Amino acid sequence: MIRHVLGATLVAGAVMAGFTATASADAAADGLAAAKAKLQKYTEKPVFVAPGEAFDAKACAAGKKQLSIPNSSANPFLKGIIDRMKKVGAEVGLEVKEWENQGQPSQWVQGVEYAIRDKYDIIDLISGIDPSTIEPQVKAAKDAGVKVMTSHFYDPSDKQNPLVSSSLTIGFGEIGTVLANWSTVATEGKANILLIVSDEVPPTKPLVAGLKSELAANCPDCKIVQEVNVGVTEWGTKIQPSVQAALQANPDINVVIPIYDSMSQFVVPAVRLTGKTGQVKVATFNGTPFVLDYIQQGTVDMDIGESLDWIAYATIDGHLRDLCGLPVPSALNVPFYIFDKNNAAEAGTPANYDQGYGDAYVEGFRKLWKLQ
Amino acid sequence: MTEAATPIPATPAGGHRPAFRLGRFIERIALIFVWILLIAAFGAAMPQAFLNWGNFSIMFASYAPAAVLALAIIVPLTAGDYDLSVGATLTLSSGLIGVLNVWHQMPIGLVLVIAIGVGALVGMVNALFIIYFRIPSLVVTLGTTSLMTGIVQWMTNSSTIGGIDNALVMAVVGGRLFGVPYAFYYAMIVVVAMWYVFDYTPLGRKLLFVGRGREVARLNGIAVDHVRFGALVTSGVLASAAGIIYAGVLGSADPYSGLNFLLPAFAAAFLGATTILPGRFNPWGAIVAVYFLATGITGLTMLGIPLWVTNVFNGGALILAVTISQLTRGREATDIG
Repeated sequence: MIRHVLGATLVAGAVMAGFTATASADAAADGLAAAKAKLQKYTEKPVFVAPGEAFDAKACAAGKKQLSIPNSSANPFLKGIIDRMKKVGAEVGLEVKEWENQGQPSQWVQGVEYAIRDKYDIIDLISGIDPSTIEPQVKAAKDAGVKVMTSHFYDPSDKQNPLVSSSLTIGFGEIGTVLANWSTVATEGKANILLIVSDEVPPTKPLVAGLKSELAANCPDCKIVQEVNVGVTEWGTKIQPSVQAALQANPDINVVIPIYDSMSQFVVPAVRLTGKTGQVKVATFNGTPFVLDYIQQGTVDMDIGESLDWIAYATIDGHLRDLCGLPVPSALNVPFYIFDKNNAAEAGTPANYDQGYGDAYVEGFRKLWKLQ
Repeated sequence: MTEAATPIPATPAGGHRPAFRLGRFIERIALIFVWILLIAAFGAAMPQAFLNWGNFSIMFASYAPAAVLALAIIVPLTAGDYDLSVGATLTLSSGLIGVLNVWHQMPIGLVLVIAIGVGALVGMVNALFIIYFRIPSLVVTLGTTSLMTGIVQWMTNSSTIGGIDNALVMAVVGGRLFGVPYAFYYAMIVVVAMWYVFDYTPLGRKLLFVGRGREVARLNGIAVDHVRFGALVTSGVLASAAGIIYAGVLGSADPYSGLNFLLPAFAAAFLGATTILPGRFNPWGAIVAVYFLATGITGLTMLGIPLWVTNVFNGGALILAVTISQLTRGREATDIG
């Protein structure tokens, strides 16, 4: 009797184990297929989708002024957006000026006060300035009738500061999902990831949350082996030794994700020194030109980029809609585009910020603004 | 200066008893001993990952720029001057390599000569204000740091420049000897050269005398200004060389990251002054200190400990080592700082 029961239990156990293994293999295959499907749209040339109704942008912008305050003028990405906004603004008659600063909150305060004194219509806080850090000034601006708007800063899941008139969010969580799905596909569902983050930068939180949840959903066999948090000012001294140490300590790591691509300047030499070039894939976000060059040279595998020019058009569009009382889109709606070895050359050699994304948006916005 | 061949004791000679000598010996090797303990501890925790030659060879190479920078600052420090501009000079040097080699397509050999020349020029400018105009070295080099930082941002358009000539990358980290990339041996060449000059040449004696007491040195017929000038130019040249190695290790250049090497380099210089020849800035001590700190960072990272702990480790190690060194010498007044 006991033998029968034991035998039956063993058979049942084996069958259950078989089922579990099959179920887990099915889950992995389904996840891989889902990841592939989700990646598809980021590999195609971005198409323009109108963010709202057409409106007469020239009439709306006539005689109006916008002061753009970047997180730091030393950041070429932000400087590039503002330079393009000046050009786009000139097309519709909106005067755009940059408040040059070196990333000091005291300088942002001065900028807001200058905008109030000089009777600007819009204060645009670009990428990285949390309105809460200069709240008294934002309130003073609001009281003086100057609309404070943010762009390329909040994730859609963030709670917007109530003093801000409108925000053009960017889907940092969505970027996290793209990084997760790309890692899943690139390793056939077996990614062992080294994640490099900077927790003090606000977009990090939604980005990493998106990455982790998507990985959990689509890749049961993937894992984040180590997560290293490096402050921005320490990228130059800490990233390289950390990556080297992690790759040495965990030889099974096959994907390194520095979530902001400027970090890859220090990841690439670490991968090279540990002799892992080609074995470890590097995936990142931002579309900074030198990293697109790295892809062409074969030291980075993937970079998610956004067109600065497109961001400039979308920002002006959103801000003008707010200024003129039209419904404001909640997001920038600038598509993300994956650069890898197949298309990195389209960004130019050496790469440029705006090349490779197509120019569908230029005509799109011009029509939307009734310029043509 | 025939006495130059005789090493000068780190503290005034005379009245040394054997017990005291033993204490001094322990002090000399204390940091090395702690370093070995640290390696043993990390080795026990991670025998496979930590205790392998690959791990050490990579660590030796990747900290070579920091090592050369620490060596650069101990030259003027020995002569009694601070050079806070070495971090900016390193950045200027690597930035120049990026701009001239990648953007202007200049041959890498010529670019390296220019980078070294610019390093010497920075040293001369510092020396002009420090020696001729008699402005404190701290103020001058703080000013030139800011000046150079601005110039590098302008020059590089505040962006990272990738794609530096592969010949430089190969010469720095491509080739290996005993499994260790060449970068480490460049740092070793600088150490040996400095050790020889510091300990076995009249110039080394003069440098030390000038640092210990300018007026006394002057009265002894030493051309104090020439020695200080030479020390500042040397630190400029060495900082530039560190920039070259840094550009070779990374294969790219950027306008900011090099600046962060300044404080670790100073920490290593001061920590290094507590070992080998305690009480004196010395090249072997500086190298031991750089790799002691590097071992700590590498081991802690391998253990998966958050990186803020490494800052605590660096700062704590420095303060502790200098304090212990002071205590073993009966809290005598130090000539450093």
